Amino acid sequence: MPNMREMPYAEAFAGTLFSPGRGKPEFLVGPNGKGAERRFEVYRNNVSVGLVNALASMFPATQRIVGEEFFRAMARRYVRDHPPRSRLLVEYGQDLATFIAGFKPLAGMPWLADVAKIERAWLDAYHAADAAPLVGEELAAIPENRLVDTILVAHPAARLVRSRHAAVTIFSVNRREGEVGAIETDIAEDALITRPHLDVAIRILPAGGAVFLETLFSGHPLGEAAAAALAECPTFDLGANIAGMIEAGALADIRQ
Amino acid sequence: MIGRIKAIDKMSSVFPAHRVEGKAGAGLKPEHLYAILEQADAVGFFEVHAENYMGAGGPPHAALTRIRNDYPVSLHGICMSIGGPEPLDRDHLARFKALVERYEPALVSEHLAWSTHDNLFFNDLLPLPYTRQTLARVADHIDEVQEAIGRPILLENPSTYLQFEQSTMSETDFIGEIVRRTSCGLLLDVNNVFVSSTNQHTSPLAYLGDFPLEHVGEIHLAGHTTREDDEGDTLLIDSHDRPVADEVWKLYDIVIGQCGPIPTLIEWDSELPPWPVLKAEAEAAQKILDRHAANYLFGSRHAEHA
Amino acid sequence: MSTKSVITTAFVAGALASALSAGSAFVTATGAAAADQEKCYGVALKGQNDCAAGAHSCQGQSTMDFDPDSFKLVPAGTCLSMDMGKPSLKPMNG
Repeated sequence: MPNMREMPYAEAFAGTLFSPGRGKPEFLVGPNGKGAERRFEVYRNNVSVGLVNALASMFPATQRIVGEEFFRAMARRYVRDHPPRSRLLVEYGQDLATFIAGFKPLAGMPWLADVAKIERAWLDAYHAADAAPLVGEELAAIPENRLVDTILVAHPAARLVRSRHAAVTIFSVNRREGEVGAIETDIAEDALITRPHLDVAIRILPAGGAVFLETLFSGHPLGEAAAAALAECPTFDLGANIAGMIEAGALADIRQ
Repeated sequence: MIGRIKAIDKMSSVFPAHRVEGKAGAGLKPEHLYAILEQADAVGFFEVHAENYMGAGGPPHAALTRIRNDYPVSLHGICMSIGGPEPLDRDHLARFKALVERYEPALVSEHLAWSTHDNLFFNDLLPLPYTRQTLARVADHIDEVQEAIGRPILLENPSTYLQFEQSTMSETDFIGEIVRRTSCGLLLDVNNVFVSSTNQHTSPLAYLGDFPLEHVGEIHLAGHTTREDDEGDTLLIDSHDRPVADEVWKLYDIVIGQCGPIPTLIEWDSELPPWPVLKAEAEAAQKILDRHAANYLFGSRHAEHA
Repeated sequence: MSTKSVITTAFVAGALASALSAGSAFVTATGAAAADQEKCYGVALKGQNDCAAGAHSCQGQSTMDFDPDSFKLVPAGTCLSMDMGKPSLKPMNG
């Protein structure tokens, strides 16, 4: 049995770091009989500020849209409700978009969750495994009679974010300097995020494009993906979409 | 005697074996990368936080590969949670080991602290009580890390803000015993010594006098911030957001005068300055290293650890 | 999938042939995340682990943050310009 005087230090710390109302663990004291409330606050503050700062750096467009004060207050609440489980800060905030979608003070911005989703996907693409993107010549080398059944493997950095709003435009203008201008927010924009080499790129997909890539990325053959896209959008242009995904570097390999 | 990390000498080395001995370096920040790449020998070495290179690929690895080609690199782990009561995380240890193998760092270090508990990550270097029990656990954890990566690590002394009623040993006794049990080396953070001593109302020189200086393989210097404790007295915060304080430079000079040139890193993690400012801090450390180096050319220290 | 029958080898082969010569249907969002500074190594690395202690001691949590009814803030960033007025142009396709 562990010595009860010694074992619970981490438990006691952990139980109060995200709960300011609880006060500090009793066994923490200042030197020479000094108090330790403010001393303990240093740790609580580090954890909170550190995580809020991390979110602010990972979701700069989201923060710019709602303003810093609002973002930080919202982030503190997110940190309390969704403390990190991974010790890699870069993996934090995976469900911030879901949190935003359900956050009542943001009900007037139904597109913001999708912007946050794009920001998170951007970061995932940034850190994804390196791989040479598939080039057109490799596709051209596939025997014609195998084309329909060809399975194309997604590039490790490729991500799709579908939105019923102009999420890509809103993301883009808020990630660069300068005026935002008026944006028609209810135009649907599906995003393809890729990082074929070292630069992350984001593209808006034409109608049917997202279903096409979703179907491909989930391991279905080219023919099935084209059929799914045509079913959703009769004007789907297979050639232009293949050209797009090659140019974007969305694929890594061919499995025939 | 194994406390000092030996130069890498492997047949399978991918990178040049740059020497870190007697050099001053700086923490590598992506914001400074282009300024660094424009210079030759920008500083003596670069230190990176291991966790920031645990992603699968992308620009971070491309940048570190480029830097490692030209400089010695120090791999500084933050989140191993060596000081926690829970077993080490196997996945995290495997990621750490993979980085050691991939980048062949000249120095490898971790903290006497903890940051995870019960599946939550706290993103801070949290303190632990110094007892027989925590001593045994920390020693086990260090053994496990050293076993996994096949080389000794340097353990860093923390900056502390309060005390545990449970503690039965001083920090320096605790660290000395850890070195004896695990043969690890030490990363002496001189700013942490100053911050902790001020906060604990003790003397930094007394701390250094009790510290097993002969096992120090790297030194950290950083800036701190002044706040107030419950009674309105000075409470220093290890903020890494400004230049190294004069008092810390003085302590550093004393340590180098006593120990000889030890690889020294300037840490600056928040409120980042332009690269020339950070570089100038490293150059100030290099001057102190060089000034004392002459006295150690034929000293026993070099002979002993060559 | 019933629609599968409409996809013939000739259809896909024709599309592929045109793909290799024709342009992409995807619209690049310029300026989004590819500012010049981020070329090559990505200067703006996000979510960095570090060992700095926060100096902003007044910036941490307040008990009020945790009162579910206390969230009185309203968004006050670029949202204002996006929500006001008639839609004008899409400032992106450049």
